[in-house]
Amino acid sequence: MKQSSYQSRVVVRTTPASVALKAVLYVVLIALALVTLIPFAWMLSASLKLDREVFTYPIRWLPETVHWENYRLIWSKVPLLTYFKNTAVIAILVTVIQTLTSSFAAYAFAKLQFKGRNALFICYVATIAVPWQTYMLPQFILMRAMGLYDNLWAIVVLQSFSAFGVFLMRQFYQGIPTELCESARIDGLSEYGIWARIMLPLSKAAIATLIIFTFVSTWNDYMGPMIYLTRDINKTVQVGLRRFIQENSSDYHLIMAVSVCSLLPVSVVFLALQKYFIQGIATTGLKG
Amino acid sequence: MEQFSKLPKYRRKLSRHERKKALVAYSFIAPNFIGFAVFTLLPVLFSIFLSFVKWKGGSFDNLQWVGLQNYADIFKASKVAEKGLGYLFTKVDLGIALKNTVFYTLVTVPLTLVCAMALALALNHAVKGAVGFRTVFFFPYVASMVAICVCWRFMMMKDGPINQLLMGLGIPYNKSWTADSTMAIWSIILVSVWRNMGYYMVIYLAALQGVPVDLYEAAIVDGANKRQQFFRVTLPQLRPTTFFASTMMIISCFKIYDVVAIMTEGGPGRSTKMLVTYIYDEAFSNFNYGIASAIAMVLLAIVLIFTLIQFSTEDRYANK
Amino acid sequence: MKKALALVLAAMLLLSVAGFAVAEEAQTLTIVAWDAGTTPYLAAQKEAFEASHPGVTIEYVDVASQDYPVKTTTMLSGGDQSDIYIVKELPHLLDWQAAGFAEPLNSYIEASNYDMSGFTGIESNYAVDGEQYALPFRSDFWVLYYNKDLFDAAGVDYPTNDMTWEEYAELAKKMTGDGNYGTHYHTWLSAVVNWDVCDGVNTLIDGDYTDLAYFYQLYQDLEDAGACMSYDELKAAGLHYSAAFANGNIAMMPMGYWYVSTLIGYNKDGTCNFNWGIVSVPHKADVAAGSSFGNLTGAMINAKSEHKDLAWEYISWLASEEGAIATASTGTRPAWVSEAVAEAMASADGFPTDDASKAALIPSYVGIEIPASEHSSEISTILNEEHSLIMTREYTIDEGIEEMNERVAEVLG
Repeated sequence: MKQSSYQSRVVVRTTPASVALKAVLYVVLIALALVTLIPFAWMLSASLKLDREVFTYPIRWLPETVHWENYRLIWSKVPLLTYFKNTAVIAILVTVIQTLTSSFAAYAFAKLQFKGRNALFICYVATIAVPWQTYMLPQFILMRAMGLYDNLWAIVVLQSFSAFGVFLMRQFYQGIPTELCESARIDGLSEYGIWARIMLPLSKAAIATLIIFTFVSTWNDYMGPMIYLTRDINKTVQVGLRRFIQENSSDYHLIMAVSVCSLLPVSVVFLALQKYFIQGIATTGLKG
Repeated sequence: MEQFSKLPKYRRKLSRHERKKALVAYSFIAPNFIGFAVFTLLPVLFSIFLSFVKWKGGSFDNLQWVGLQNYADIFKASKVAEKGLGYLFTKVDLGIALKNTVFYTLVTVPLTLVCAMALALALNHAVKGAVGFRTVFFFPYVASMVAICVCWRFMMMKDGPINQLLMGLGIPYNKSWTADSTMAIWSIILVSVWRNMGYYMVIYLAALQGVPVDLYEAAIVDGANKRQQFFRVTLPQLRPTTFFASTMMIISCFKIYDVVAIMTEGGPGRSTKMLVTYIYDEAFSNFNYGIASAIAMVLLAIVLIFTLIQFSTEDRYANK
Repeated sequence: MKKALALVLAAMLLLSVAGFAVAEEAQTLTIVAWDAGTTPYLAAQKEAFEASHPGVTIEYVDVASQDYPVKTTTMLSGGDQSDIYIVKELPHLLDWQAAGFAEPLNSYIEASNYDMSGFTGIESNYAVDGEQYALPFRSDFWVLYYNKDLFDAAGVDYPTNDMTWEEYAELAKKMTGDGNYGTHYHTWLSAVVNWDVCDGVNTLIDGDYTDLAYFYQLYQDLEDAGACMSYDELKAAGLHYSAAFANGNIAMMPMGYWYVSTLIGYNKDGTCNFNWGIVSVPHKADVAAGSSFGNLTGAMINAKSEHKDLAWEYISWLASEEGAIATASTGTRPAWVSEAVAEAMASADGFPTDDASKAALIPSYVGIEIPASEHSSEISTILNEEHSLIMTREYTIDEGIEEMNERVAEVLG
């Protein structure tokens, strides 16, 4: 990689004009950040209200009395702990499988020559464009025949082999100079060795990126678990959330409370990995 | 960047060595590809086949081959032939959904990318607190859709905060956005931009960190001002990122469903009916899987055209 | 850093393997239903059946109500073997029957000499070409709910079982003010204009919607007078009718009978504590008082079930008087009509005790909300789209109805 990965600003001047410009920038950024956070503030406040207060008018940003018990209620009204555990299991397994297999496959797509490479890659990209709703039924029939219906593995195999991971990793590997592989080959490393000793260490950042994207999207997936998971012991958080929306009533205060809780694990993953993530993206977007 | 369209063709017989090399390559792809082929590719191929049959679910014995009938049905071909293209886009479900989806995509993609790039540029300079801002702007992407969309719908209510803000800016608007045919699609666009902005901002931000310093130095030596630096150095350097981002975004915009389902349910009338909303209705209200698949193929065709154009422009710039 | 990453991955893998639940096979009668965990009548039915049939366990498969059509259809198409499916909407049965998911019931009916007289003919909605495919166990018709406390406070007489729509509109306007709304319309098409089918002649699939204009006009007058919350507001806030009425500032609300059990529940858990009653919905001057429309809920045996005889025993019990009494005890209206059932309904714990409410339990006519036909779902999509345009006033009533007529004509060919 030729570019320096991090550098100071090119022009460092501290004229009054640049200070003023910076101040304006900060004001704009803070204002934007606040606007971005407003829905979250509303969500948090709604989660501490009574159901009938949620949509009262005009908007009351602070609950009249703070109902912390909502956060207790959600765990007793539905088996939320089970839902969280299932979601975590699925998200973690998918993330692990997705990361390993797509980085493996992407290496071949980016650095190896073989017959059918283009056709295969086009297959991958094209399937991203087909909405899941249209092939859901054949997929369901297949899964059921394999005995995966109402089984967490159904979601795991469904999500683990998405084309997105391969696309992302291929873009990244293309940014790594081919000469590196060539010289490793001359040194007698096998292709597997090159992948393990050269590609993987160089792609830590891309892997972190993929982990976050996969984890977030699996964590928040709704349609898949809704279709494939039926018994309560198998449901995920996003599906369990809908139990608060019933035919004749809906408990939006509890929905918001669950949503707030559901935000936490994903935020932790993001914060923990974002230092890799930033570099990862940089190299993905750059030419080799 | 190597292009898959630029590879040498394998015409002659493969040598033993080459065969071994290919085998190694296949072994890399196999773990992912087998899963992908079984659980995604196979069902997708089956849905292509479904677009040529009538099927209401149940046993495969109920399949009935109808050829291009499903396509003729969704385009209302005979009526359109008689009344012209205007009829397709004003009266036919497919035409309306197509028009809405394309409009939504054409507005959302550039808007999101411009916002994302602007934010990234700003955060590239305001180094202090950058991690905090980054996290805040990425947050919408992490949140679950139901809660967020319900909240936005409420914000855009008749006398809601957003309309009050508009009022304050001297733009009186006194209707709920989601209950107005013209504004409903804008409410979807707004939420989509808000949700995806941070995601692409992070991508741009990272790409900016990697723009070589010497390019700016050279530009300054040439006497370029800030604006010229942006157009001559930053923008071209960001092109590969823009390519990746816009490809992914066009695809996901064409598949928009969840925001619409929660915010407007495709309404009022058909003003926010999208291709996938239409697919959903046909598949799950009317159980016409053949029709649903045919609509999906139209969607696939359009996205493929967009993507191939994208790839060909990538080609041009990549080899410059 | 590499180590840390590897550690994280390994820990994730371990955690996930440890947390895996193993599926186990259950030997019970499984019934697919929605909101199974929170619907009182499902619990009452299970309890009553298990009490009278020792050794049989009923197990519900719980599906979220809004996902019910998608999820059940996918399950059935995928060859699911759950024994019984609850039929939520009439048109679904037709689709399920066409796809071969529904077990034909005539042979069971003949073999057990099953008495269907208590259904007063509505079971024919579940028959295709003379073959029965499901049995009805709930028949919800629409009634007018009113808040007795608000009427008492205003010193206005309660609504009666014989009101015309004009009288109702007058009353609604009279009860409006001081932050109170005279009436409340949920956003559905059925809540606003489905009354058109009460005359026993019109249906929503006949392709002629000209008559709906009367009810749209009635609604718009009330909305303009501020006698009900506006459609805009309800849509944007996603305000649910159950919460709206429970708030206590709505005098009247036409709604399905199912809301009775919700209100009883609200009274019990303290969500609301006012007195309420029901009367028959208003009628047009030329339509008999006590006419209403409604919906059926039935039970179907899955053709793939491995316990069909037991399943038949269950659904035949469920639909008959015995099951009906269990259903009625929770404030839900069963399809089977008899004196014993009416008695059970009126004596449901928490049901209003006044005579008018009891009288409202026996409608003079109940039309079907949307009859099943091969085009029902398509037509209802169209009607709902145009409905939203009329309700948001993007279209005038006439424009909207003209579009309804035009588009449905195209579907009907």
